[in-house]
Amino acid sequence: MSKATTKQRKVSKTKSAKRKKTLMLLTMVAPGAIWLILLRYIPMFGIVMAFQDYKIYTKNPTFINNLRHSAFVGLKNFKFLFATSDTWVMIRNTLAYNVVFIILGLIIPVTFAILLNELTKKINAKVYQTLMFFPYFLSWVVASYFVQAFLDPTRGLLVNLMKSWGMVPIDFYNDTKPWPLILTICNIWKNTGYSTILYLSAITGIDSSQYEAANIDGASKWQQVLYVTLPHLKTMIIILFIMNVGKIFNSDFGLFFNVPLQSGPLFPVTQTIDTYVYRAMMATGNYGMSTAAGLLQNLIGFICIMTANTIVRKVDEDSSLF
Amino acid sequence: MKKKKVLSLALAAAMVAGMLAGCGSDTPAATDNTDNAATAEAPAADDAEAEAGGEEVAAATLDISEPVTLRWYLHGSNVTDDTAVLEKVNEYLGEKLNVTLEPIWGTWGDFDEGSTLAINGGDNIDIYFTCSWSADEYNQYAKKGAWVRLDDPENNLIEQYGQDVWAALPDVLKEGALIEGSDGYGVYAVPGFKDFGTQNTWDVNVTLLEELGYTLEDIENRSYYEFGEILQAAKDLKGDDFYPLNVEPMVLERMVTNSVIVNGDSGTCNVLSYYIDPTDVSTDIGSVIENKFATEEYKKFVEQTREYYEAGFIDPALGNAQTSNDVLMAAQSSASYLIGTQSYALGYEVQTSAERGIHVEYVPCTPPYVDKTSTQGAMMAISTASKNPERAMAFLNLLNTDPYLITLLEYGVEGVHYNLTDEGLVEFTEERDNYIPWRNGMGNITLLPTQVGEGDTDFFTNTFIPYYESAKAIPAFGYVFDSSSVETELAAVANIAQQYAMSLDAGTVDPETALPEFLEKLEAAGMQNIVDEANAQLQAYFDSVE
Amino acid sequence: MAQTTNIKKRKRRINAVSVQTEILFNVIMILFCLACIIPFIFVIIISFTSEESIQQIGYSFTPISWSLEAYKYTFKMGQSLWRSYFNSFYITVLGTILSVTICVLYSYALFRRDFKYRKFFTFFSFFTMLFGGGLVPTYIVCKQLLGLNDNYAALIVPLLVSPFNIIIMRTFFQSSVPEELIEAAAIDGSGEYNTLIRIIVPVSKPGIATIALLNALAYWNEWYTAMLYVRDKAHIPLQYLLMQIQRNVEYLAKNSSGLGADAIKAAQSMPTQSLRMALVVLIVVPITFAYPFFQRYIIAGLTVGSVKG
Repeated sequence: MSKATTKQRKVSKTKSAKRKKTLMLLTMVAPGAIWLILLRYIPMFGIVMAFQDYKIYTKNPTFINNLRHSAFVGLKNFKFLFATSDTWVMIRNTLAYNVVFIILGLIIPVTFAILLNELTKKINAKVYQTLMFFPYFLSWVVASYFVQAFLDPTRGLLVNLMKSWGMVPIDFYNDTKPWPLILTICNIWKNTGYSTILYLSAITGIDSSQYEAANIDGASKWQQVLYVTLPHLKTMIIILFIMNVGKIFNSDFGLFFNVPLQSGPLFPVTQTIDTYVYRAMMATGNYGMSTAAGLLQNLIGFICIMTANTIVRKVDEDSSLF
Repeated sequence: MKKKKVLSLALAAAMVAGMLAGCGSDTPAATDNTDNAATAEAPAADDAEAEAGGEEVAAATLDISEPVTLRWYLHGSNVTDDTAVLEKVNEYLGEKLNVTLEPIWGTWGDFDEGSTLAINGGDNIDIYFTCSWSADEYNQYAKKGAWVRLDDPENNLIEQYGQDVWAALPDVLKEGALIEGSDGYGVYAVPGFKDFGTQNTWDVNVTLLEELGYTLEDIENRSYYEFGEILQAAKDLKGDDFYPLNVEPMVLERMVTNSVIVNGDSGTCNVLSYYIDPTDVSTDIGSVIENKFATEEYKKFVEQTREYYEAGFIDPALGNAQTSNDVLMAAQSSASYLIGTQSYALGYEVQTSAERGIHVEYVPCTPPYVDKTSTQGAMMAISTASKNPERAMAFLNLLNTDPYLITLLEYGVEGVHYNLTDEGLVEFTEERDNYIPWRNGMGNITLLPTQVGEGDTDFFTNTFIPYYESAKAIPAFGYVFDSSSVETELAAVANIAQQYAMSLDAGTVDPETALPEFLEKLEAAGMQNIVDEANAQLQAYFDSVE
Repeated sequence: MAQTTNIKKRKRRINAVSVQTEILFNVIMILFCLACIIPFIFVIIISFTSEESIQQIGYSFTPISWSLEAYKYTFKMGQSLWRSYFNSFYITVLGTILSVTICVLYSYALFRRDFKYRKFFTFFSFFTMLFGGGLVPTYIVCKQLLGLNDNYAALIVPLLVSPFNIIIMRTFFQSSVPEELIEAAAIDGSGEYNTLIRIIVPVSKPGIATIALLNALAYWNEWYTAMLYVRDKAHIPLQYLLMQIQRNVEYLAKNSSGLGADAIKAAQSMPTQSLRMALVVLIVVPITFAYPFFQRYIIAGLTVGSVKG
């Protein structure tokens, strides 16, 4: 056997091994990919509704036929978003709340995850973590009853407290001032448990010998957090950040709709793009309009994500989304 | 280098997405074709029948040789077990029409979403509940092409298979069903014969009123603007936590300003108003549609309401859309109110007096009147997706004329779900808890036997029908607002109205600042376009009537 | 002196925070947890509150009178309640197993740097996080194309894949599996599936447990798919049973003017406010018992440090 043929065989062997590996990995991706095609990509043809005056094709009203026979109306379905002097208000609210939520939604859960990690009694950590998850189970409607129990103008606990202290009670459901704070607290209350668990499990993956080594080197606890924990959490932080940026034009509907009890006078601080679209839909029942609004929101989100991802990739390729 | 990669990647993804979308639309289209083939025969058969019917003019004989399943989407049901009922129903319908009925028991909470998805997606459903107020708006979907026109000159289903039901219905209901739809001006659904008149009334806690030293006449002889003294007396007697004026803010506004909802206006918060003469609703008093918030009456009303609110007569929680109803009902059932608002239904004072443990009387603001909203309160439309519209029509015909069938469907099986008392009244059993359809949401309720507590055995013929047939129609009765050309404006205006209207109507905000702000915003959002469009349509309607 | 402090220190874990700091940490966590649990206690209180008390003073921590009426009513639902409990458990367990499997497989491939189509499939899943066809087309595909109608599949399939979870799982792999581990496995000639199951999964237990927990919660909380695709009472999950009541109440409130007198009649047949809360309690309690199961894996690593090394 000559050297050349063994080499050739080796090459072909690695080649076929490579092909085999790719094939195996493809089979791993397959179930998820098939699902994505069926339940996400195929329905995407419905996006054309955003540009149509959607009508039912009376002769044979299947969805495809309806789409096929509906007239295109250009950008008409997008117009309602800009037809009011409140356009600026709802965009401002959506963006401002999201910026605050993203920042606090990063700092607080990361801090809590580190705190939990440092507790020596693990039973405490377990109990805390379980309790933190409770708000996740309560829908915003139920949460709104709870908030109301505090703020109700006649029977609210907080209002009664203020009265007994001789203060003039705030008329909460007619006064816009406290609401940015109230909504922010509600958001933190509901979502912290969820994010904390993500960061906590990422911390769990840290090799404890790294801490021991740092300790031997004389690093204080604070330095250990700074130089061991945070760098390790970096990828998770960045990924969650990028994904949140993609939702910057979307809002948590229930938080802004139900928690303020749909009170009209609070609209200047509670109206977001999603609540506006919902109310518009209730008035017109036009699916094209809501599809159009969703498309616009996601398009902007997409641009934001691509930008954020590109920046991240320049700085640290490993942490980027793709 | 990297940039290029991203770009090519994005392109590749987009292409794949496109391809997928492409094949996506192919697959359902393929199934479509088979559908097409299947239905291609049906219309052909239709035409033949229509021609035959056209020659005879009289009712066509229904071809019932093939067994057919009718799927029927209902609203407001509370049904967990329908097997016993359906067994009987299908036995009967099988004999009569060779039909198997398959009801879909929509509930209050899921009907809007479920039915609109089914309609838009072309689900295989034959008959839908439809009306003027819930999300499957009768007018809107008639225009979008969801309903079969029942009096289509080319294929008049009513004349062929629905003559009995058409003869049984009061004229005003038939007229109320006429609207502009995908196949022209006509009937797109069979209206249910239920309480179709509208009558707004003051709901008075007479027990408390008399305790205060007043009588019912004191309410009858006063307008809203003169209630202050009585309300104050109640407040003085009952203390700070008692709110004598227990109102639904939007209804209160209509009662005081004598305005009527313009049908076709934005669902949850109406912005257009048509005004009526409270003494005789059928008189023509100028007949223009107005931006209701810009009128003098409205200003006067909100100022008075604010005064009442500041005096502590109105619970602040009534001003929030979310809590309003809960608070209203809680105050009603615990009888902690003096004057309330109520859209009246016949026999209501007896029922509520018993429930609240006080003496309740209703003081009407107007005689009962008929408008499109009230005549389209509960209807049955045949879907354009139905493969058997003839059989569906024949079923609706039977449902609305056959006491046995409708009693079975509405009340359940005699001896199981209800028993008849010696006087012949219906008394429900415990089994009824598993089978409670929404009575008014099915069909002709006047065919039903009377329930215990409702009245005597002849309640429907002697009391119910005369009361509602006495109701007069408003001058613009036949008119429906078509918002399609001002949808953009309406979307913006609906949002603004929800910001201000309810709190102004409940007095929770100061009209001095809020009202001008409100009007300015409405103006900016194109309110005038909506009003102009509505008036142009109204004028066209009056012209066409003359 | 030095020795005594040393002994003291030894009692605590080496490299632990000082006692004072730990007390502070505990105080912070206790305060936050109180904020989380008090609303739930509030819900429990309301569920035991008598209807008269709610009518007189509204929702309150200190009701005038108590009542078991709400729970009596719920248990009268009898069969349909237990049936929906069973359905919820069934779809949660089955759905979690399936979705975690699919998620781990997909994200593991994305994690592999040497996977030829890595970037494509990352984008392929990420893209759907932002863009979708909307409600109607998805409904059509699910119902008419996939036949998700009145069956358990209708409750499981729509939630099977979450692009968010895929990316999170990939991040877990990135931060807990060293590259050398895969290279070592490759040299060993271990097959891809073998590597994943024998080597990667054990190392990634906390991450997988977290994803499993998130999936289980999603399945347990889900009611919307049930509303769209399930009419048959036999397949309704518990959460939808609650939401049905909730939505009925909301609907009547919203449409009271359109319904007129009918709305009042219908509302009177509605379950009471305390009942709504009783159902919340019935939903939350079972899943909290399932929680420690997942937590074992998530917290376990904390004391021992990572398994790797």
